[in-house]
Amino acid sequence: MIGIEHYVVVSSILFVLGVLGIFLNRKNVIVILMAIELILLAVNINLVAFSAFLNDLTGQIFAMFVLTVAAGEAAIGLAILVIYFRDRGSIAVDDVNRMKG
Amino acid sequence: MVDLSQYLPILIFLAIAQGLSAAFVFLPIGVAYLTGAHKPDAEKLSEYECGFPAFEDPRSQFDVRFYLVAILFIIFDLEAAFLFPWAVSLDVTGWPGWITMMIFLAELVIGFAYAWKKGALEWE
Amino acid sequence: MDFAASLSLVAPEILLSTAGLVLLLVAAWAGDGASRAISIASVAVLAACAFMVAPALCSGAMGPDTVAFSGQFRADAFASFAKLLIYAAGGAALIVAPAFFERVHAMRAEYPVLILFAVLGMGLMVSASDLLTLYIGLELNSLAAYVLAAFLRDDERSAEAGLKYFVLGALASGILLFGMSLTYGFTGTTSFEGIRAALSGTISMGALFGAIFMLAGLSFKIAAVPFHMWTPDVYEGAPTPVTTFFATAPKVAAVALSMRVTLDAFGGQVAAWQQIVIFAALASVIVGALGAIGQTNIKRLLAYSSINNVGFILIGLAAATPQGASAMLVYLAIYIAMSVGGFVAVLMLKDADGAPVEGIAEIAGLSRHRKVLAACLAMVMFSLAGIPPLFGFWGKFVVFQAAVQAGLVPLAAIGIAASVIGAFYYLKVVKVMYFDEPANVAVGKSDWAHQALLAIAALFISPLGYLLTRWLGALADKAAAALFLAA
Repeated sequence: MIGIEHYVVVSSILFVLGVLGIFLNRKNVIVILMAIELILLAVNINLVAFSAFLNDLTGQIFAMFVLTVAAGEAAIGLAILVIYFRDRGSIAVDDVNRMKG
Repeated sequence: MVDLSQYLPILIFLAIAQGLSAAFVFLPIGVAYLTGAHKPDAEKLSEYECGFPAFEDPRSQFDVRFYLVAILFIIFDLEAAFLFPWAVSLDVTGWPGWITMMIFLAELVIGFAYAWKKGALEWE
Repeated sequence: MDFAASLSLVAPEILLSTAGLVLLLVAAWAGDGASRAISIASVAVLAACAFMVAPALCSGAMGPDTVAFSGQFRADAFASFAKLLIYAAGGAALIVAPAFFERVHAMRAEYPVLILFAVLGMGLMVSASDLLTLYIGLELNSLAAYVLAAFLRDDERSAEAGLKYFVLGALASGILLFGMSLTYGFTGTTSFEGIRAALSGTISMGALFGAIFMLAGLSFKIAAVPFHMWTPDVYEGAPTPVTTFFATAPKVAAVALSMRVTLDAFGGQVAAWQQIVIFAALASVIVGALGAIGQTNIKRLLAYSSINNVGFILIGLAAATPQGASAMLVYLAIYIAMSVGGFVAVLMLKDADGAPVEGIAEIAGLSRHRKVLAACLAMVMFSLAGIPPLFGFWGKFVVFQAAVQAGLVPLAAIGIAASVIGAFYYLKVVKVMYFDEPANVAVGKSDWAHQALLAIAALFISPLGYLLTRWLGALADKAAAALFLAA
């Protein structure tokens, strides 16, 4: 039987992949945006699985909100990226070093 | 240990999906190759890409305006996702639910009007 | 509770969102020329909202009458206290902006609208009594803040600050959200009350992970060590009025939210999070103090100072008592005044052409030609260091007092030791201003709005502030009581 723990394992793996994608990626900021989406989708798997498991609708509603907010977040992220690209002519992660830190 | 036999349906599904998609791709190619005429010219051999001329390097830059349109699309598209649960539960939520959704839509319209006025929908 | 009663409880939020939407349309049609008018309207809206939430604080509103929308939202005295601070900080960010942006012809009519939406999001955060409200409020605030950080579109540092803030803020939201999903899964509810009830016994491993992930995400938002690395860059790169905003309002909102989550939702499991908070508090105090040494940019210095101050605020959270919560609120109120004062003083540092001056070396000998400004900046620095006659001392005092009474004597002792280390770099700035050879760079004239705001902030953190201690303490006690009644 595929139980709740299978879903949690899958979502945890996706979550870790997303976090690693942010920190290990040295190439392109767009990849970071994808990694962020991966994290949010991992959360959505969790929410929907728990919602089905608990027989409670809240999780699914939460997942809808996460989806829509993620869209807004991606839109703003892309917009900032476009501004950044116009200024610098590059979106390589290694170039994001105008300030040390 | 995870009982892998539970995933057998998925495996079968993937196998069928791969088989079918391979057939869909290669069958028309094969049929066209066997039945079609072959008179290639430069225009026919060039790649087709909508909106901008086909280019050689697939990693070269997109026009930033594609991003802007895509951004606007994805926002308005996803907000519409709220309409479905709202529509099926309207008998439970009643008038407050209806009014709430109308306010939500009005806010979306305000956002749309702002984007329009700011010229985000203009291509040039 | 019926719909109409719920609506009356969220009246400030309704006003803010309506005003935000209307002003957005005005901004689109009237153009950037109307930005001053829109700013003034926004400040008026914030003032009106402050009048709307003040009664709940003065009457110490708490209990079921303050709960709206079936437990999604809570308009109690605690939320009102935090909202008043947020509105004040938002108003300050609006007042200081025009003079700064107009010099580079970048004052856009959207700036006040974004501030209004960010303030609305923060109001939802501090009123949240359900994970869903928490998330929506947090994101509304964050999305507006990302745009604000990158507001100077042609400035490389601003764009980079926006990008960094976005990436790390989105990561923090993701971590927080993952914790929320685990918490939901292992307690079966998203309401704080329900989570608290479900966690009455021993905490399950899943819920513990949920709590830890949520704390990590919140630490990002309040810039507590070990999740502080974005702060100096974002504070340096963002336009100074925006930095003024970032250092104040979101800090209040995120700290208040952390208080709700830990003391209300996870209030039955203090042992599970107390050590994490103690670690974050100590690490923030120490890293904030050490990191500031060697900084050459005054905005970066103030960023480390804000990390340092968050550490002191978290000492009050570690106490996990009503007294600790009350002390945190008092500290927050004083911290807002110090931060606004500090950043407005930075805004007033301009060279002869009116370009902003940010280097510490460039303000050498400031006391010779800008006596009042140097005095105010020195007062802010002394107050941030917690040197007694100034009001900053009182915040640290009440926090340490609460920690000692909760039996956390070592924590308080280390905190006091670290504040002595911290005093070093604050005093260094004062020394540069008063005793170094004049660099004669920061000679530009300042805007009257900046002067007025700096005067108010300086008055509040001056020894005269002690006249307010009884009143401020009473209000903070009421707010903390409302928080603990819910818990």
